[in-house]
Amino acid sequence: MTGLVAMITGAALVALGSGLPYLSRTDRYVKPALWAQILGTTVMGAWGAAVFAGVGTLGVPFRDSFDPAVGVDPLSGFFLLTLAIVTVPALGFALGTLPGSRGARSLSALTGAFVLAMTGVLVARDVTTFLAFWELMTILPATAILVSHHGRSARHDVYVYLATTHLGGVGVWVALLALARFHALGDPSALAGRAEALQIAIGLAALIGFGTKAGLMPLHAWLPRAHPIAPSHFSALMSGMMIKVAIYGLIRFTLGWPARSAALLGVALLALGLLSCLGGVLYALIQHELKRLLAFHSVENVGIIALGLGVAFILNANGDHLWAALALAAALLHTMNHAVFKGLLFLGAGSFHNAVGKLDLDHLGGLLRRMPWTGGAFLIGSMAIAGLPPFNGFASEWLTLEALLHGATDTPLRTALPTLIALAGLAGTAALAVLCFTKVVGLVLLGPPRREACATAQESSRPVLAGLVALATLCVVLGCIPGILVARLVSLAPGSPVRLPMTSGIDITGTGSFPAAALLAFLVAGGALLVLLRSRRSAAPAPVWTCGQPVEAPLRWTSAAFTKPLRLLMEPVLKPERSVAIERNGVLVESVAYESHTPHLFDTLLYRPVVRAALAWATFLRRVQSGSLRAYIATLLGLVIALLALARLGLMR
Amino acid sequence: MTPDVWLSTLVELAAGTAAAPLLPGIIQAVKARLQGRPGPSPLQPYRELNRLWHKSTVDPEGSGAVYRLAPPLATVALLAAVVIVPATSFEEVSPLGHDVLVVVGLLALARFSLAVAAWDTGSGFALMGASRDLTFAVLVEGMLLAVVALVALPSHSTDLGTLMATTSGLAGWGGALRWCALGAFGLVVLAETGRQPIDNPDTHLELTMIHEGPLLEYAGRDLAMLQWSAAARHWIMLVLTVEIFLPHARGALLQLLSLLIGLPLWCVLLALIETWQAKMRLLAVPRLLGAGTAIALAGFVTWFIGARP
Repeated sequence: MTGLVAMITGAALVALGSGLPYLSRTDRYVKPALWAQILGTTVMGAWGAAVFAGVGTLGVPFRDSFDPAVGVDPLSGFFLLTLAIVTVPALGFALGTLPGSRGARSLSALTGAFVLAMTGVLVARDVTTFLAFWELMTILPATAILVSHHGRSARHDVYVYLATTHLGGVGVWVALLALARFHALGDPSALAGRAEALQIAIGLAALIGFGTKAGLMPLHAWLPRAHPIAPSHFSALMSGMMIKVAIYGLIRFTLGWPARSAALLGVALLALGLLSCLGGVLYALIQHELKRLLAFHSVENVGIIALGLGVAFILNANGDHLWAALALAAALLHTMNHAVFKGLLFLGAGSFHNAVGKLDLDHLGGLLRRMPWTGGAFLIGSMAIAGLPPFNGFASEWLTLEALLHGATDTPLRTALPTLIALAGLAGTAALAVLCFTKVVGLVLLGPPRREACATAQESSRPVLAGLVALATLCVVLGCIPGILVARLVSLAPGSPVRLPMTSGIDITGTGSFPAAALLAFLVAGGALLVLLRSRRSAAPAPVWTCGQPVEAPLRWTSAAFTKPLRLLMEPVLKPERSVAIERNGVLVESVAYESHTPHLFDTLLYRPVVRAALAWATFLRRVQSGSLRAYIATLLGLVIALLALARLGLMR
Repeated sequence: MTPDVWLSTLVELAAGTAAAPLLPGIIQAVKARLQGRPGPSPLQPYRELNRLWHKSTVDPEGSGAVYRLAPPLATVALLAAVVIVPATSFEEVSPLGHDVLVVVGLLALARFSLAVAAWDTGSGFALMGASRDLTFAVLVEGMLLAVVALVALPSHSTDLGTLMATTSGLAGWGGALRWCALGAFGLVVLAETGRQPIDNPDTHLELTMIHEGPLLEYAGRDLAMLQWSAAARHWIMLVLTVEIFLPHARGALLQLLSLLIGLPLWCVLLALIETWQAKMRLLAVPRLLGAGTAIALAGFVTWFIGARP
């Protein structure tokens, strides 16, 4: 009962926060509204955490009927907690930046509504409520983008976002309605008696529907367009949480999938996940704009989550319930970790944007010195997303790697080989992420300022900093105690309960061990000792060695220069376009112009033909819309006859 | 945690720290002999570390905290890896565990800290080396994980103690799996230690440096730490080679003996390769590493097709 009251109070507070700004024609109520939202989200997150920790579920379990119902079980509770962890700092960012800016009232109201919509999806316990909030969750960020941007290109990007997610979203509708039809919404194992083809069809529909929203490649086209142009706290919410709600949906409706078709779906998830991992990080590497780069990294991290889920499917089909549970825990742990560091990075990018303007990577630099707190938090977030110990990204990648290793060594060859390739691919992805974030840290935080604005940048305001520092602390804390979360997460898996000891590190008998807290202690203590040993540091300043040449601005290393070896290596995959124009005057070379551009191959090779085909089809269909009454009547008549024929044959019930 | 565990961990740490510089020293000395030069003594790295320890450091203009913190961070990551890779205490449980994936993470941490330090100085040569190092690391890490999966096939474990136990003896050398694992890991060793034909640790020609590049600006104690780190990479990789990827016996004394014989032998082999092979063109390296990954995958498939117990 307390829980129900807490959840309703929290939701009411957020709702209040969404309505409050409109009470005045000025921005007077924007701050109180955001505070109300912070409070409400905290209450809901706290209760979500309590349910996740095991105080007992609220409301009803997911059911097949269409009557509205809500409830919170440990899985929803975990995602509510994650939602609060991302949302509260994002709202803090809004608190520091929104008042006084353009569209502050609408944006603060939309933020609250967006949080409510995501909460709605997480607590829905029937198809109607779920789908209603699901669609709302798609539309609200689009509105927020249109409120803050008026340009033609922004409108086009929003159009692409809505078109892609709605087309892909059909998969969600198909999968959910089909599951409801077979009374398998709450528990897909009810599908076990049905034909294998049917199971696979429903599973693939769910994969396409939720995968589109999660940003899995090749269904990701909207993500790198929509995330960078949204207001920064919305970007943090979208990348940190909205795509995770899609992961929630995928887990909610496929947990306990019948073993017969699970292996195939697992391999499909591995394939999509690996493509997203490698593709996401490769395209992130060649971006020149910070927020766009971060958006591509979201694709990569969703891929890592998909790898964990895929191998959970495979291990489940193989009857290895312990490791299936651990693989699921790895995916969920990475979901929370990615929410933390991606929220941090997007809010950090937003702070830089507020301080210096455009976020073109080649024209930043030196921001760690000017903005030590924001820069320090951003550095920690970068190390966490690059999967470096002792931060949280390493913990979940470690567990995902372990799960993949088990999938590769303990299942038949037809699943083991794809899993091994995924394992090597994930290791390569981690190294690519290190390369990418070395570049980001170097170009944004270090070196000399490359633009006037960077030399005079001011540190962010207090509420923004509070959020950033809190998230950076979480990167360390979650990296230090992954074992406690994992011990709880494995119990979410269906079937016989798996019990793990509640230790700070992850230690599973018969496989590797990751003593997180000891490692952190060793690195901190050892590092401090080495700094002390180096004590008498009488450093002489000297110019950087450049063979005696003065370093002018055009000679400085750029984003493109740092990734050049990799682009050369990946030339057959990325297919960059280069053009060199040499202007001669007689034999003298007057000027040389070099231009290089890497096209997004998914756009040119996949989406463009599809769009062209769709337009051609539409042109053809336009003939039907001739305005001639007889043609319409003939079409309708044909349709009715066809339906009657189907009914007669017993194909429709 | 018993006092025994702490003692064995300390022994582990001390042995690794003290012995690591000897390995590149032996390689240098043997290489000089093979090339007909008298060459330095195998103890030369110790003398250099001692000399550097008493020199003052240099801070390039415009560099900041990241440049100053990089050497201790890289060194402590390598120290942790030395503790985790068991050379003397493989049957004890170290407080840092014995997990090979953690070692991979720590090596990446060391690599990252040096690369961001290169960005902090803005030195073109350091950045050139760092970007090449990180690019090769992509292929090496992929290959390394495939090799780890290969040796983990019988035991499903990434615990180094378990791996050493399951790979001991001569069983399995009749099949292709162990040979493939050894071949692929040999390439990992060459890449991770930065030896020819992938990188030349002796060069200071700016345009060809890979691992040495980010070290260019450092001096004094900073450089001493980084040179020890480079030696520690040799230690970690060669200990793994001898105790997992080559035929070895089980048991504390025998294992220690195999290390005492195996490590110098491998140093000689590396020196031989260095004498006989020129440094590769930069863009030929990925092909070599790709071949290594293919070998690992082939070994993996043979396990499923061939003799599975």
